[in-house]
Amino acid sequence: MVLFPVTGHLSRPFAASGRSTLAALGSVGRAWALFAGSLRAIGELRVWGPMLLPQMARVGVASVPIALFIATFTGIVMSLQASYTLTGAIPHYFVGTLVGKTMIMELGPALTGLTLAGRVGANISAELGTMRVTEQVDALETLAYNPLAYLVVPRVLAGLVMFPFVVLLAIAMGIASGWLTALELLDMSSAEFIKGLRLFFAPWDVWFAVIKSVSFGAVVTGVGCFCGLQTEQGAEGVGKSATRTVVISSMLILCLDAFWAATLL
Amino acid sequence: MSIQLDELRKSFDGKEVLRGFTLTVEDGETSAIVGPSGCGKSVLLKHLVGLLRPDGGTVFVDGQSVPELRKKELVRLRRRIGYVFQFAALFDSMTISANIAMGLRRLPGWDRKRIASRVEECLALVDLNGLGERYPAQLSGGQRKRAGLARAIAASPKYLLYDEPTTGLDPVTTSVIDRLILRMRDELGVTALVVTHDMTSAFRVADRITLLHEGRARFTGAPAEVRTADDDVLRGFVDGDPALYYGVQGGQDDGA
Amino acid sequence: MERRREIWVGAVVMFGIAVGVVGTMWLKGGWGSDQVALRTASTSVGQLVAGASVKFRGVAVGRVESVTVVPTGEAVMVEMTVRPDLAIPADAAVVVAPESFFGDWQAEITTREEYSSLTFYEHAEDGVLAGAALPDFSRLTATADEIARRLKVMSDRFEIAFTEETAMNLRHLIDNLGVISDDLTTMISQQAARFDELAVGVTESAREFTAAARVARTTMEKMDGILTDANVGTMLGDAGESMANLKTLTGDMRAAMTELRTAAQQGSATMTRLETLLASAESGEGLLGRLLGDPELADGATAAVANLNQLLADIKENPTRYLSFSIF
Ligand SMILES: Nc1ncnc2c1ncn2[C@@H]1O[C@H](COP(=O)(O)OP(=O)(O)O)[C@@H](O)[C@H]1O
Ligand SMILES: [Mg+2]
Repeated sequence: MVLFPVTGHLSRPFAASGRSTLAALGSVGRAWALFAGSLRAIGELRVWGPMLLPQMARVGVASVPIALFIATFTGIVMSLQASYTLTGAIPHYFVGTLVGKTMIMELGPALTGLTLAGRVGANISAELGTMRVTEQVDALETLAYNPLAYLVVPRVLAGLVMFPFVVLLAIAMGIASGWLTALELLDMSSAEFIKGLRLFFAPWDVWFAVIKSVSFGAVVTGVGCFCGLQTEQGAEGVGKSATRTVVISSMLILCLDAFWAATLL
Repeated sequence: MSIQLDELRKSFDGKEVLRGFTLTVEDGETSAIVGPSGCGKSVLLKHLVGLLRPDGGTVFVDGQSVPELRKKELVRLRRRIGYVFQFAALFDSMTISANIAMGLRRLPGWDRKRIASRVEECLALVDLNGLGERYPAQLSGGQRKRAGLARAIAASPKYLLYDEPTTGLDPVTTSVIDRLILRMRDELGVTALVVTHDMTSAFRVADRITLLHEGRARFTGAPAEVRTADDDVLRGFVDGDPALYYGVQGGQDDGA
Repeated sequence: MERRREIWVGAVVMFGIAVGVVGTMWLKGGWGSDQVALRTASTSVGQLVAGASVKFRGVAVGRVESVTVVPTGEAVMVEMTVRPDLAIPADAAVVVAPESFFGDWQAEITTREEYSSLTFYEHAEDGVLAGAALPDFSRLTATADEIARRLKVMSDRFEIAFTEETAMNLRHLIDNLGVISDDLTTMISQQAARFDELAVGVTESAREFTAAARVARTTMEKMDGILTDANVGTMLGDAGESMANLKTLTGDMRAAMTELRTAAQQGSATMTRLETLLASAESGEGLLGRLLGDPELADGATAAVANLNQLLADIKENPTRYLSFSIF
């Protein structure tokens, strides 16, 4: 008792770290419960089935413009910077190689994922958060709906299904804009650019991008749903949840990105 | 059957909200629970539909122990209960009609036509004819409350739980809602539990009134008994006298 | 509303699939199913990797699918896919060669006659084309490395005395220059079949290089004589002649280096110095004694050797910098 007072200000750091550890463990536990519950809820096709299409439209279709916008500028920058880097002995057509490889394998999936973490994840989180604090989630339950089946499953499935398509379109856009940049600003010929594009291309690269974006889609929508449903304390809580969603899903995307690179390449 | 609560306890983060609440609501009876804001009325109601799990005590609805029900059975029980939320909790991405139809769509044997005609019926019942295609945001507070009521009664439940159905409404709308609550009892024979802090309303609709005080049922009796009872806390709450209401509290709080 | 949503979702999905599939096929450079598989085996494949292009008469006709070592370990199996309409000659063979000097190699479908100087590897299995790989530039750098080492020894010796051993070393160096030029000639002539006109200049340079090395060898033989013969008169004359010859050598070598355009800058600077050095030696009366006695001269020679050393090291490090001009 003398060496380690349980009460008083000295114990505060211990209590604080213990509390945050418990809180973190609690979050993991709740996330696991959400995951397991959602897996079970997949059986309730009649509940989430009709909700899937609207969510696909929201998660997928509505995200296309922003994804294409980002990809366009990424392509331009990649092209210009590649030519800036590849001076001297390295032939010009490597600009095509660099633009193609990085767009397909890294920037297409990761940048789109990060963008959609903001656009889709925060949106889902705010929506479900509002439903939570205005008791709409409770109302669903009293009307004999499983909120996981009605709210979470269609959103996560929509993310899972639509992300790869959005990413593929973004990749195509990025390569196209990089190509155009090479033609217009770098005085390269189409033949040169395509030669570089094809040089080290392997169809596996595309699968790699698809696998990545499926996982990013699950992470962004899943984290959005989780944070949204965890929302407490009114409008302020909704804002906090949206922020948390963006931060957590961005970090998870980058971790997953590294994970896939380590395991699949 | 009916609703039976025995020694119900519930606390949040160490803060005891319900400390052994006991109550019985007989079949076909409309019972009111009164108490100031934040005393745990909504928490109490949520236990009846399994939205919250008790820390101790028992909750029986329709002869079933709610906390012990499995998912499927709970869903079946919920179909027999209509829940009117404090702020209506309408789904704001849907029209009023779609809101009312939500519960019906989960029921077997309800096709589109049957649902549509039932939705119209419910809208008429709460005096919202012609507003079915509006969105919740386009309605006034009173209209929203009525729409929430329509949604709760759509599936013809045996039990109705009202969470402050008249709070924040003008006196005229309040009496409209009160009359609706009575109609539910008289025409449909539902068993109802009305949670409110509006004594006028409680006197109007309730067969029995219970005062929720410090997590327990402080007093239970018919409206006439409530008017005449000489319990200090009850008097303080009914007459709106803080001195009486809080005067007793100080001595009891320490023991809790 | 619902209908429009369906259309949009459908459009994104269909378009996404189309972009994915068409894009992949296009980048792969063919439509998968109607491609024809070809195999070749060779003792080595240089830097050929999966995805490299397969060419026939200079036209890209397919891609390398995989590069694996055969189980016995004695050869490399290269699997390719090519256009189905390709009429492959009866005595077809595959030559693996650099497409440019930047790590992108290609497999060229050709005939044995066209590369008669190469030895093709014949695989026992049926349907596997004979294959051969052209030498990699990295092989030349090994020789250059050897030269650089000897030059280092030389430069050390220069500071002490220009002795018999020094002369021997110098001869070694020149012999090695001969080796490197021979290598260069072989390689260039092998590649000449593909680089035709472009390579003419290089072949020429290489030939001049060889000639220069030969002159150098003669010179050194004479110098050997000088160092062993006691006859001073002859010695004076022969020394003068060998200095003149050495001057010619540097001149020739400079010409060769000029042909190798990029190398020229550093190379000719070195040669100019050597030339100056030799000219002053020739005009001075001290002959070898003078060469030994004059510190400035010795310094100049040391610097020249160091310069050459540096150049060769650089060639070894970045062969592409000096050899790229013939292709691009
Ligand atoms: N989910 C919850 N987490 C923590 N505290 C809660 C929660 N729900 C209710 N409470 C607390 O329980 C008490 C009773 O709340 P409530 O039942 O909503 O009061 P009211 O009687 O006004 O309906 C309040 O002090 C509230 O802060
Ligand atoms: Mg309440």
